[in-house]
Amino acid sequence: MKLLLVAESREGKLLNSSYELVAFARELGADTAMFLVGAEGDLPAYDGTLYLADSGTAGEYNPSCHKSLILEVVEKENPDMVVFCHSSYGWDLAPRIAYSLNAAQVSEVVEVQDGQLVVPACNAKLRRKVKTSTVKTVVTLQAGAFGLTEEPAGTPSVEKINQDSSDGIEFTGYEQAESGGVDLGKATIIVSAGRGIGKPENVSIVADLAAALGGEYGASRPVVDAEWVEHNRQVGTTGQTVAPKLYIACGISGAIQHLAGMKKSEFIVAINTDKDAPIGEVADVLVVADLKQLVPALTEKIKSL
Amino acid sequence: MEFTREIYWNVGHGASTLIPMYLLTIVALALLVKGIWQRVQVYRTGLPLVRNDQVATRLLRVVDNVLLQKKVVQVAWPGMLHGLFFWGFGLLFIGTVLIVIQADFTDLLFDVKFLTGTFYKLFSIVLDIAGLLCILMLGGLLVRRYFFPPEGLETKSDDAVMHGMLLAILITGFIIEGARMAVTELGTPLAPWSPVGLVVAKAVSPIGENGLLALHKVTWWVHLLLVMVFFYLIPATKFRHILTTSANYFFSDLGPKGKLVNLDLEDEDKETFGASSLKELTWKDIFDGDACTQCKRCQDRCPAYNTDKPLSPMKLVREITRIAHDDPEGNMIELCDKDAIWSCTTCRACQEICPAAIEHVGKIIELRRSMVLMEGEFPGEEVMTAMEATEVNGNPLGMGYAERGDWAEDLGIKTLAQDSEVDVLYFVGCYGSFDKRNIKVAKSFVKLCQAAGVKVGILGKEEKCCGEPMRKMGNEYLYQTLAMENIEMIKAYDVAKIVTSCPHCYNTLNKDYRDLGLETEVVTYTVFLKELIDSGRLRISGGELSCTYHDSCYLGRHNDIYDPPRELLKLAGAAISEMDKNRAEGFCCSAGGGRILAEEKLGERINVKRVNMAVETGAEVLVSNCPFCLTMFEDGVKGAEAEDKLQPRDIAEILAERLG
Amino acid sequence: MKILVCIKQVPDMESKFKIDDAGTWYSKADLAWRMNEYDEYAVEQAVQVKEQLKEGDITVLCIGSDKVKETMKKALAMGCDRGAHVSDEDSSLKEPLQIAGVIAEYARDKGFDLIFTGMQSQDRGSGQVGLLVAEMLGLPGVSTVVDFSIEGGVIAAKRELEGGMKACVSLKVPAVITCQLGLNTPRYPTLPNIMKAKKKELISTPIAELLKVDARQGTEKMYFPEKKGGGLVLEGETPELVEQLVKILKEKTSVLS
Repeated sequence: MKLLLVAESREGKLLNSSYELVAFARELGADTAMFLVGAEGDLPAYDGTLYLADSGTAGEYNPSCHKSLILEVVEKENPDMVVFCHSSYGWDLAPRIAYSLNAAQVSEVVEVQDGQLVVPACNAKLRRKVKTSTVKTVVTLQAGAFGLTEEPAGTPSVEKINQDSSDGIEFTGYEQAESGGVDLGKATIIVSAGRGIGKPENVSIVADLAAALGGEYGASRPVVDAEWVEHNRQVGTTGQTVAPKLYIACGISGAIQHLAGMKKSEFIVAINTDKDAPIGEVADVLVVADLKQLVPALTEKIKSL
Repeated sequence: MEFTREIYWNVGHGASTLIPMYLLTIVALALLVKGIWQRVQVYRTGLPLVRNDQVATRLLRVVDNVLLQKKVVQVAWPGMLHGLFFWGFGLLFIGTVLIVIQADFTDLLFDVKFLTGTFYKLFSIVLDIAGLLCILMLGGLLVRRYFFPPEGLETKSDDAVMHGMLLAILITGFIIEGARMAVTELGTPLAPWSPVGLVVAKAVSPIGENGLLALHKVTWWVHLLLVMVFFYLIPATKFRHILTTSANYFFSDLGPKGKLVNLDLEDEDKETFGASSLKELTWKDIFDGDACTQCKRCQDRCPAYNTDKPLSPMKLVREITRIAHDDPEGNMIELCDKDAIWSCTTCRACQEICPAAIEHVGKIIELRRSMVLMEGEFPGEEVMTAMEATEVNGNPLGMGYAERGDWAEDLGIKTLAQDSEVDVLYFVGCYGSFDKRNIKVAKSFVKLCQAAGVKVGILGKEEKCCGEPMRKMGNEYLYQTLAMENIEMIKAYDVAKIVTSCPHCYNTLNKDYRDLGLETEVVTYTVFLKELIDSGRLRISGGELSCTYHDSCYLGRHNDIYDPPRELLKLAGAAISEMDKNRAEGFCCSAGGGRILAEEKLGERINVKRVNMAVETGAEVLVSNCPFCLTMFEDGVKGAEAEDKLQPRDIAEILAERLG
Repeated sequence: MKILVCIKQVPDMESKFKIDDAGTWYSKADLAWRMNEYDEYAVEQAVQVKEQLKEGDITVLCIGSDKVKETMKKALAMGCDRGAHVSDEDSSLKEPLQIAGVIAEYARDKGFDLIFTGMQSQDRGSGQVGLLVAEMLGLPGVSTVVDFSIEGGVIAAKRELEGGMKACVSLKVPAVITCQLGLNTPRYPTLPNIMKAKKKELISTPIAELLKVDARQGTEKMYFPEKKGGGLVLEGETPELVEQLVKILKEKTSVLS
């Protein structure tokens, strides 16, 4: 079996998620070739053929041009599967490639079971094992579902390709996220403070853990009402409804308004002194402990990883 | 000697007196009628509303509240001052009318005098004391208003005019009497029957007879002129409340209390719903502001006003009337302030205390209806989310509808779909069905019913939110959709009785659903449990309990159920330490009026304020009877940092622990 | 401006899901249904465009059983002008390519200037339909749009990228846009509009007339993933708790990798 891995770069920098494609290929035990629209200065640590198009010419977002380039490589390599990350880049390109190749597309693969692809359904509440009936398949991989266990290594043998075409979509530039405004709805990790934090000074304990994890911190309604945390960080039906990959509830007993706002999170850790707190019902892990001791220790541990 | 006096003494009873006097009277009364008529034209710009049915009941309200001043004296201190002034002034008015009747009719035409003898002595002393009483009461009110004004009392030029005018009329009256007595009565046995007049007479007598005659004549005409100006001022100043407030008792809402007007959503010709401008309100909504005396009793009790929110029921009602007179094309919602409109918890404290029979809540709901039904506007996104969640799952919490009956799974009760042969249908409500804290209450209630041998059934996933919070937020369409579905379901099972443990469900099913065809008897759990105990089916054993009891707005003010819950608690052995604000004066928990769906963004937290009142009683348990209250108090004890001191509980939980 | 909005009716994600008898999809019993969240943004955007241009005609298209008409009525109440219902009792068996094929078949020759749809459905979540429609109709397609404006037939849109970054693009109509959370706040339909929606055109077409594409994939099995922590309760001393927790996070989540 042969896979064409479509790596990603942004502003000339290779994105680390590209190695997840390699990990996926390893799991399948498949041969690979790689394709990247990027810059010569930042190439992936990868042993194999890398078809490299210069992002200066092909553009960072130019779907029709990138599609033609990929189709050109597919022609050369004849892979069984074209693999993307399920990212803003991958989910935009994959259907276009699948359509052109008359291939089935399987989106957001989370695991491979007996050689078959498994994808989530209904906000990850369900799993779906997919069977395809086409010669080629286009696949996108859920972010973080596949990871290399060791540091990526290798040197690609670069084969440059290039095209310059457009179908009328003109990329006019990037816009950075505004600083200040917090959009918890889009955070992948949220650490939230509940009334169990006791006093406003302890908000920093929770914020530090969030920072160490690369996430955002939030709060339950009583904490926001007490003005210990600004309102745009409130999680719950009266604040923001969130569904991050990881939600850590610190000292939150679990009022229904709060639960309704966060229970869709993929993995929930609750840190609470009360073993019977309702938050325990939605938590994957309930740590019975005083957050004022546990959370700083956890933050230290994570920083040391 | 004959105990009487000469009417028109000194001023004369000829044409030179009567013609100018009656001309003045006619002019003053004509101006009075004109002033009233102009205001009536403004009332008539409102939509029609029938408020002249059940005349006897309405007249009885007028007697109770105008003649007997029942509502006015509920607030003892200023209320008694007003009451005594009113009765005193009423006597003076009657006295004056008697004089006119005798002098210008019975005596003039038939030579009949009745103000003589013992009757005259009584007449004289009663009026004398009434006049003194009026001056004293007016003085008291004046001192209160100008020297020790209570917080929130607004004083305007109207108030100065009113105090000044009334005092001038009363004082000139006594001067006339004193001058007359100084000349004709001093030293006679009649004089002591006018004790105040006697004092004045002694004071003025040194100026001599000629001076007294002149003083009397001038003051007589001044007094008459003042009274005529007073007539003219009635429609133009707050004096109008003499007429409007009295009339408002006749026009008052005869209930049921707290039942909203049902909107006809099927009316094809209707293009607007709710009220965003004057022409969408009824005449009564405009009239109410004219009946308002700005006594600010509503404002004093308003939970929103008392926690620094922009709502004052008094100001809102008056603003509507101001718009009617000054700015009839104005945008009512903007002028009344959206935040004020959304702040209302429909707790009814304003309406319950109002001594002018003003209906505050209905107006606020009409304004909300316009915002929601015509603009799709809510006080916050969280409210819209709750509305959408209710549309999808039949509950504002957004929980899957199919799990609504899960809480009762191991209690041995069935849904009506499984077995509809039940004694009562327990309409659980959203919080009792889904909220972990309130599920405990629902379970306690079922336990009590089972102990009493009552076979309870629930609708389970066939039950939907009763629609109360949505309706109070203005979403009449969603309310009616939910209500129709519930009613259809309840009717299909043909149950004899419905019991609710949520006062919001109770009020809605028992009153609002009647307009949509529900006929089944509905009782609230506290009354139902009390009946079970009284009939000996349910036994409760007493145990130590130091508690305070919170009257939920919808069991209390909306339904006047104050005693059954307290009796239940006493049977359970409780010693109740009442909060200052209890029963009809109870302070809202913050969650009524659909506010349970909304975030409290403005001012102080109402629930924390209420919890602090409970803490002050020193009681260990705060007992309530409503899932919204319980939710708010669970939150409030945290906000008040009183978790160690005060435990919020529902009455059903207390009883279920004490099954005997 | 002729606008097509493609919407899907999905179960409310709060529902308690069960697997159907065939084991290949969720059971449709006891579910509450609603408009796919991302499609609500699509409807709202279409209505905003019409309001901005003060002219236009919006068709809302939905594939499914008669039950989906309820959801279509909401779109009509929000401001769409007419409904195109493609009736199909087994729409959950259709793969994205077939759904896109049906839409493209419907839209071809109708001269739509703009086609809006959600970036993905909440139940299947493939995120393919909008872009496949664009490919099939040979139109430019922009996915995951969080900002949209149009002036003189030229669209300025922002795509949402990872890490809070946005890519700004410009293109001309006709085009296909897939909508992402954050694009707008869908309006709450007003009562007069709900009433009007009841009288708007809503025509059903059997799917057989529009389905010309064969499936390339199917669902072999649908199942519940193992509950990761299984409601694990950790008790003990802080250092051990930290060790255990970090181990679990490494095993069960991707956030520490």
